[in-house]
Amino acid sequence: MPLAVVDAQTLVDSVALGAVYALMAVGIGLVFGVLRLVNFAYGQLVMAGAYTLAFTSHFHPAVSIAACFAVVIALSTAIDLAVFRPLRGQSPAVMLVTTFALAFLLQAVARIVDVRDGTIGEPVRVVGRLNRAVDVAGVNVRQVTILAIVLGVVMLGLLALLLGRTTIGLHMRAAAADFRTARLLGVRSDRVIGFAVFLSAVLAALVAVVLTVRRPLVTPAYGLQETIVVLVGVVVGGLDRLWTATLGGFAIGFATGLINGVLPTDKTIFLPTAVFTLVILVLLLRPGGLFAPRGAATVERV
Amino acid sequence: MRRLAPVLELAGPLLLIVAAGLLSTAVSRSTQIYVLHAIVAVAMVVAIYVFIGNSGVLSFGQISFVAVGAFAAGVMTVPLLLKGAILRDLFPILRDHELGNVESLLVAAGVGAVLAAVVGLPLMRLSGLAAGIATFAVLEITNNLLREWTAIGPGATTLSLVPQTTGPAQATIGATLVVLVAWAYQRSRFGRRLRATREDPAAAQAVGISVHRHRLGAFVLSGALCGFAGGLYVHMLGSISTGQVYLELTFLTLAMLVVGGMTSLWGAVVGALAVSGLDSFLAEAERGALPDGTRLVVVGAVMALVLVLRPSGITGGKELRL
Amino acid sequence: MTERRPLLELRSVEVRYGGVPAVRGLSLEVAPGELVGLIGPNGAGKSTTLHAIMGVVPVATGEILVDGASLLGRPPETVARSGVALVPEGRRVFADFSVEENLRLGLAARRNGGGIEALREAFDLFPALAESRRRPAGVLSGGQQQQLAIARALVAGPRLLLLDEPSLGLAPAVVDSVFETLDRVRERGVTVLLVEQRAQRTVALADRTYVLANGGLRATLTPADASDTRRLVAAYLA
Repeated sequence: MPLAVVDAQTLVDSVALGAVYALMAVGIGLVFGVLRLVNFAYGQLVMAGAYTLAFTSHFHPAVSIAACFAVVIALSTAIDLAVFRPLRGQSPAVMLVTTFALAFLLQAVARIVDVRDGTIGEPVRVVGRLNRAVDVAGVNVRQVTILAIVLGVVMLGLLALLLGRTTIGLHMRAAAADFRTARLLGVRSDRVIGFAVFLSAVLAALVAVVLTVRRPLVTPAYGLQETIVVLVGVVVGGLDRLWTATLGGFAIGFATGLINGVLPTDKTIFLPTAVFTLVILVLLLRPGGLFAPRGAATVERV
Repeated sequence: MRRLAPVLELAGPLLLIVAAGLLSTAVSRSTQIYVLHAIVAVAMVVAIYVFIGNSGVLSFGQISFVAVGAFAAGVMTVPLLLKGAILRDLFPILRDHELGNVESLLVAAGVGAVLAAVVGLPLMRLSGLAAGIATFAVLEITNNLLREWTAIGPGATTLSLVPQTTGPAQATIGATLVVLVAWAYQRSRFGRRLRATREDPAAAQAVGISVHRHRLGAFVLSGALCGFAGGLYVHMLGSISTGQVYLELTFLTLAMLVVGGMTSLWGAVVGALAVSGLDSFLAEAERGALPDGTRLVVVGAVMALVLVLRPSGITGGKELRL
Repeated sequence: MTERRPLLELRSVEVRYGGVPAVRGLSLEVAPGELVGLIGPNGAGKSTTLHAIMGVVPVATGEILVDGASLLGRPPETVARSGVALVPEGRRVFADFSVEENLRLGLAARRNGGGIEALREAFDLFPALAESRRRPAGVLSGGQQQQLAIARALVAGPRLLLLDEPSLGLAPAVVDSVFETLDRVRERGVTVLLVEQRAQRTVALADRTYVLANGGLRATLTPADASDTRRLVAAYLA
């Protein structure tokens, strides 16, 4: 594919999509780090946030966004208490099936809550004005695109500081690397797990805000496709380490943006087959992920 | 009593299937379709159980084999005259031939087995989380190909005009066959060895059991049975689209297996019938007072509850005992 | 032995792994300030005893008391935060973390402030660690990693220090330094329960040494027995 086909606008949009997916990858990776649990239902947190924004669209934006955060954090905490904690110590496969069930359950709840006709959602107006374009160095960029990129960079930076410089961050990294030893040293499992779940919920709420600007039509399946794509990115990048998972999330978002921006739709119909074949190949040939350093000790996982 | 155990292991499931079959002939036409659904669900869940239950390895991919079985049986039984008109892009060999009911079911089983062999050969090296994700990828790939590749099927449109041959008799006989094969397999040397690898892979390998080969065997057999169940399914519905053999069916069949108890034939049968019953009841209720979506909420909640509170399922994952 | 209340007391403790008892009816005491050894052949139940104290494995019957309070049913982190520190078998340092981060992890169990002071003391006690405080723990030598594991337990300010085979897999010269370290730890007034395979050295170092076999108490030895090889062997094999 000649590079000339990729115009600056597509490039910027792709970076923004990569940033959003990277945030979701971090949200999935954080919880995986401390619980060894791939949260299939992560997209439904985003969906819950999106619905909250939709239902509160007649309020002041700040109220609406605050409600979005509150709902997503409450839901995430409830899931942690009711499902994740009782499941602790179960095999990863059982946990995966459970979150798979949870995803379906929450999606079905949305179908009940969605009192319109189940498919047509009303646009979220709160943050709609962010769709206006501004001119950056001769390129027309929507404000939300800039917001996504800035949010991505800022949140990843904050997270790096939190994990690298604070005590709770150190404890989370230790729990991810070797939970048993961390507990023997006095690291409180409930606290690190609770904090990881909280952070992943904050990220899901942020993603909900950005996604609803980009795609205002909220449906029960909202966030499902994104979650599957991000899971692919996370597995291909390397689930064992937070930074490879994040990079995987960014890469798959960026690639998705580029491919959809450049190739006509009829050329991408078999894209899922190619992508999921890649997933299988990575699992078989490089289980640590494409970005994991070759032969590195698989000790640190956050 | 000990000699009675294998008989009971088979008799319990068969009795339930026959009872359901008889029930389907005694009820109204609108209720009958629910009962038939339940019996076909038994065939699917037992087919899935042959792999997951015996190997202890999670798979999200078995519905892929149901899907290819359903489309193979469907495409091959649509009358030739109509096929030329509605499925013009098909490969000539598919377009120009028409099969009878039984042949189509055999083809469905064959296609399921072949796909399972192709996929399983590399994938059976994985277990745990990696197996879960890789088999999910298989489901996505199968769905994508069936949806977009019009040379092998109807693509994104619904395949209709499939002869509806799965009535009470065919459903009951079909499910019985699947249960018989599953029972014979788990009592065989291969089945017992695979179950040994489930309990302790390292020990099984130490006494010379090849985990990879035994898992692959169960995977292919499961693929064949899944394909066969898919054939029963399409002949019951009379039409099929890719969305019907994708995520929701994967979720429902896994819920049935989990709720019944993943590690026993009895659990698979009981789970399939129990969850089907609940599902039908709620589906009927959704047409009345309950809002759309209640069905999946309840089934999802039941599945999650069982996983959290009693991971071995309502039968405890054990075969029927007196 | 003192008349004071024992700091650690096990009363008829039984631990089972899938129905098979690994520790059977074990009773022992460690008085404040004592260094007590626990030796015995492989599979005698030494490590399991430490795991039972830490709450890693459930106790089937019996009682475990620290300073008179029961530890039963408490998760490992609670036990650690109540002033019981374990230096686990195989050291279990976090290889990708810096030496200082490993030590800061040890502070997780510290009940009161003074963490910075504790870190400074640890670096004073182990100058080699101070030199490589910013380096990843994984690049340290085996002996230094063992020092780090001990230092990490000490910065928690424990009342009771449990060590699980600290000399395992170390070169003989390094083993010497580990036992010297243990001596220094004792001088600081920390109560120690030491699980070891090196019977003679342990008996010589400890105030008392229990010999475990098949999950039960076989004999109790004193430093005077360390030079009596026959008695040692007899205690092991009886």
